[in-house]
Parts: sequence; structure tokens; C-alpha cells
Amino acid sequence: MTIEVSKKICMLGSFGVGKTSLVRRFVYNLFDEKYLSTIGVQVTQKKMPPVTLAKKSQAVAFKFILWDLAHIEKFNELIRNYFRGSNGALVVFDLSRSLSIQNPDVFLKPFKETNPDSKIIFIANKYDLVEAEGPVVEEFRQFAKSHQVPCFMTSAKSGDNVEKAFNKLAEMILEAE
Amino acid sequence: MLEVIEHILAEKKIVFALFSENQKLVQLSRHFKKVMPIEMDSVTTHLLDLFPEFVGNESEIAALYKGERKKYVLEKIGRPNQDGDISYYTFSLTSPKQISAREKNLLLVIQETSNETNLEQKIQQQRYEILLLQSSLTRAAHSSGVTIIGESIQIQHIRDFVTKIAKYHNSIVLLEGETGTGKNLVARMIHNNSTQANAPFVEVNCASIPDNLIESEIFGYEKGAFTNAVSPKKGLLEEADGGTLFLDEIAELPLALQAKFLSFLETKKFRRLGSTLERTVTTRIIAATNHDLQHAVERKEFRLDLFYRLNVLRLRLPPLRELSGDILRMADHFMNIYAYDFKKKIKSIAPEAQRKLLAYRWPGNIRELRNVIERAVIFANEDIIEAHDILLIDHDQQLPEEVIEPVVPPDDLSLHDMEKRLILQALSRTRGNQTRAARLLGLSLDTLRYRIKKYEIQY
Repeated sequence: MTIEVSKKICMLGSFGVGKTSLVRRFVYNLFDEKYLSTIGVQVTQKKMPPVTLAKKSQAVAFKFILWDLAHIEKFNELIRNYFRGSNGALVVFDLSRSLSIQNPDVFLKPFKETNPDSKIIFIANKYDLVEAEGPVVEEFRQFAKSHQVPCFMTSAKSGDNVEKAFNKLAEMILEAE
Repeated sequence: MLEVIEHILAEKKIVFALFSENQKLVQLSRHFKKVMPIEMDSVTTHLLDLFPEFVGNESEIAALYKGERKKYVLEKIGRPNQDGDISYYTFSLTSPKQISAREKNLLLVIQETSNETNLEQKIQQQRYEILLLQSSLTRAAHSSGVTIIGESIQIQHIRDFVTKIAKYHNSIVLLEGETGTGKNLVARMIHNNSTQANAPFVEVNCASIPDNLIESEIFGYEKGAFTNAVSPKKGLLEEADGGTLFLDEIAELPLALQAKFLSFLETKKFRRLGSTLERTVTTRIIAATNHDLQHAVERKEFRLDLFYRLNVLRLRLPPLRELSGDILRMADHFMNIYAYDFKKKIKSIAPEAQRKLLAYRWPGNIRELRNVIERAVIFANEDIIEAHDILLIDHDQQLPEEVIEPVVPPDDLSLHDMEKRLILQALSRTRGNQTRAARLLGLSLDTLRYRIKKYEIQY
């Protein structure tokens, strides 16, 4: 028997990094080149494949409630309501833009304060636009390492590693339960 | 009466839903589905199924039931509508005690805010598109030549220097090197590698601005500061605020202005011409010179205290003749750039052409190499640059290194006349080639051009 459990996952990151595109690729397997900035939040659901953990007899199927959040310029209490009750977050960066202008501190610190037990993964999106394993990728790996967070190089355009990143997050949440 | 109220609220795009103690749907307001089209059946009646936006907020919902919390609000919730667009809503869950004292209910009030939110989205979209465009332009600038080519120890040293000092935004940098050695390029690299890379990079050649204008150019002026100052104007220091001001040919800065500039370097404060208001900027200063500033100090042409202030992070850029190992790498780099620009399928430089490049002394340094390769790419017939495409100043006919001996006129000694005559002599000797004439006179090309204009020399 499989138990279905809903888990709230926030998509965080600067504007134009591809949060919405990653959700569209993951949920609907679609991609659109056109950039349409997100405002507020859009919630999408995706059922994850059931997994059975060795220590538990029952299989668990997560239903990810994906919160695709707009770029957060300034944190306030209404944004804390967006964060509340999250089990995890995918923090998305754009590999084709300088890391220095995608500072995650504005939202990452309050996110962790609101959800201290949540699991976090860094995603370096737009991998298709940079040199594979080039200096930009290395810089990002070091950046993720300094935050002690697992990272994935993804391309919402090609779909590379998108599912892997979400699956990894599911695995991290499951392991913590 | 309730029907009328519900109708009025629906007109304002406000609807509500009532949920029981176990979070099951009890009642929808009359026009609910017109404002909020949701799919529901007899099974799907739980608050979290109908509104997954509240998943994860179970403790807040429990607090509402207990009356420990009065309201819980989620704003700008986007949901796809029947037209395939997104409609936006504000969800407000309110404390049940305010609705009924007997039953523990939850009231969800939903207001559609699409008009305001879509307007906000359009403004935000434009702003973000501009920022993304700026970012991609910066990236293009980074990848299109603002990098130094080479693997020699000297070039590695330059790269290390740039990497180390770029983050220290308050530190002044002094770049020294012959003309054409890439001082401007290194200044841009420092700026691009700094945390202020997105702030302005402003450059000015101190030799190209007449002495009487340079103060107002650098420090700005207020209306009425001088005859033609009809409106206030920011100086370059303010234009570059937060970023970098690159002062090329700093040795040409008039002595009278050097004290004011030193004061700015010491305090980061200055006054515009004609103003008593002290202004502060966080502009990084990178200065460059092709002169020996220490000699200029000895000749009393440059203030010693300013020299000391500039001499904090000092880098000498080597002439190209000291980078023989890198000449071919740089030539290849320029070849690729110009082949792309001119849409030519040039792939390589022939061995004989390479030997020719390596044997030359490159008095004009990297700038000269770039110009030579540009010409070679234009004239190359096939996909390879041949030796005959490389046009260099013949070694035998290279300009003599000696300085032109000035001749004191028999009467009425005038320094201006002397200078004018020397420029004319140099132009005559170089058959009007200003670059070579400048080199002969030990001036930068910009300085020579300024002097030619100043003395109205026509050659």
C-alpha cells in the first residue's frame, strides 16, 4: 500500500533565472523561450513516484505542492506566509549571469528561519548556455559548497537534470522523516 | 438582504466559502464560481484539496480554529483561468469566532485582484527585461575582448594582480606602461572583476581635455560657475559613482588641479565648481601613465604627495617585445575577432607570417599588433594569413630613436612657437602619420591631436 503525502516545495531565486520554466519542464514537460515574469505565487502539483524506504514497510508517494515564487526584492511578513510550512526549497541561479548579482541572502535566511528543518538544493540553471565544466560551473560548485548545499546543473530548455534535482529533494525529505 | 450583499460583493469580485470544523466545505457564496472557477465534486470538499495553497499551513489553520489567530492572508495567488491566462487572488482565512459563537467554522474570503496585479506584472516585466538585457550586455562585453590573452609569467602576473585587487574597491590603482600595452583593458578587467561590475566604468584621457576644462569635467559645476554654465552638470567623479573612474595619462593633469584631486583621494569628498556643498562618492580611481611619474616628480611636473597617494597598487604593463611567447596567441585572438567581424573564414597564420610577427620589435605594442592583424585579415585571400599580408614598418626604415634636436629661434623665443614647430617637424618627418609623429615626440596620440588642434596645425 502506498501513502500519499503532500509536501510544500518553494522555488526561490532572482528574476529570470528560470524558476517557472523548471516547474513547467518538471510538471508538464514543456518549455517556452518567452520570458514572462512571475508575480506573487503560482501553485502547481506533481505526484512523485512512490518510494519505499528500508526502515519503513510502506511505500510513500509525495505530492509536491510547488510554490513558484516571484523574485523577492525585500522580505516582509506576507512573504513569510508564502514560506510557512515548506518542506524544501530549490534555490535557482542563472549560470549565464554573474553570481554576485544573484545574492540569495535576501530570501534564504528568512526561509531557513521560517522552516529550520526544510531541505535545500541549489540549482544552476541555463547550463546549456555556458561551457560544460568551465570556470563558471566550477565557481558555482564552490559557491554551493560554501553554503553546504547539494547542487545540480540543469537546463529547463533541454530538460537535463531537472527531474534528478526534484528527485534528490524528495529523497532528502524522505530520509529526514 | 444576504442575496443583495452577496451580489454587491461579487460585483467587487469578492466571494467567500465556509468550512466546517474538519475543514470540509459547508457553503459557497452565490456567485463563487464566477469569480473563482474551481473544479469540485462531492468527494473533493476538503480545504486543502480545493486550495492546496494552504498545504503546510496546518498549524496556522489550527490556530485560527482555536481563536489564537484572527486572520491568515495569502496575496497575489495566481491560478489559470478558463481563457488560459492567469487570474490573481487574495485569500483571507478568518477566525471562526467572529462568524458564529456556536460552531467552529473557517471563513475563506477570496478577492480577485487580477486588474491591479496584471498592471503590476507589466511594469515588473519591463523592469526585469531591462535588467536582463543589461546583464546580457555586460556578459557580452566580458566575453568580447575584456580579457588579457597570454600564458607568459608576465601575463599571469597581471591576471593575479587583477584578481587580487579587484575586490578592494577603495584602493587606488596605478597602471604604468608604454603606449598600446593595454592599460585601458586592464582597468576594465579590474572593474569587471570587482563587485561593482554593474556600476559605471567611466574613462577620461587627461591629455585630451584642455587645461581650463578638465576641472569642470572631473568635478562638475553648478549653474553660473562660469560664463557658459547655464545649468548644473555632474562631473565624471559623480558619473562613475559606485563604479570606476579611469584617468588615462594622469601625468598630464595640470599641476594646479593635482592638489584638488589629491584632496579628493584623501577624503573622497569634493565640491563642484561654483558650489559650497561638499559631495561624497564611492568611485574607485584607476590612473594610468606612459611616463615615468618619478621623473615627472623630479622635474616638478607632478606633485610628490599625489604620486605617493597613487602609488598604492602599482602595476607595470610589459611592452609586447618582452612577451614574445604570447605574440602568436594574441595574434590568433585578434585574427578570430576580425575574421568574425569581417565574416571571413580565416583559420590560421602561416609559419612564415608567424616568423615575421616574432621578429618585429612592436614599438606600438598590442595596439599595433591588433592593427596589423586587422589589416592582414582584410587582405588575406584564402583561409590563412600569409607573410605578405603582414605589413610592418620596415626595420631598416624604422624611425630613428633619437630625439629631434630643438633649435632656439634667433629672436623672440616663444615656447608655444617652439612646440608648434617641433610638431610640424615630426609630422613632416613621418609624412603626416600622427601615430608615428607622436611616438617620435614622446607624446600620446591623444596629446598630439590635442596640440595639433590647439595650434591649428594643418598638415
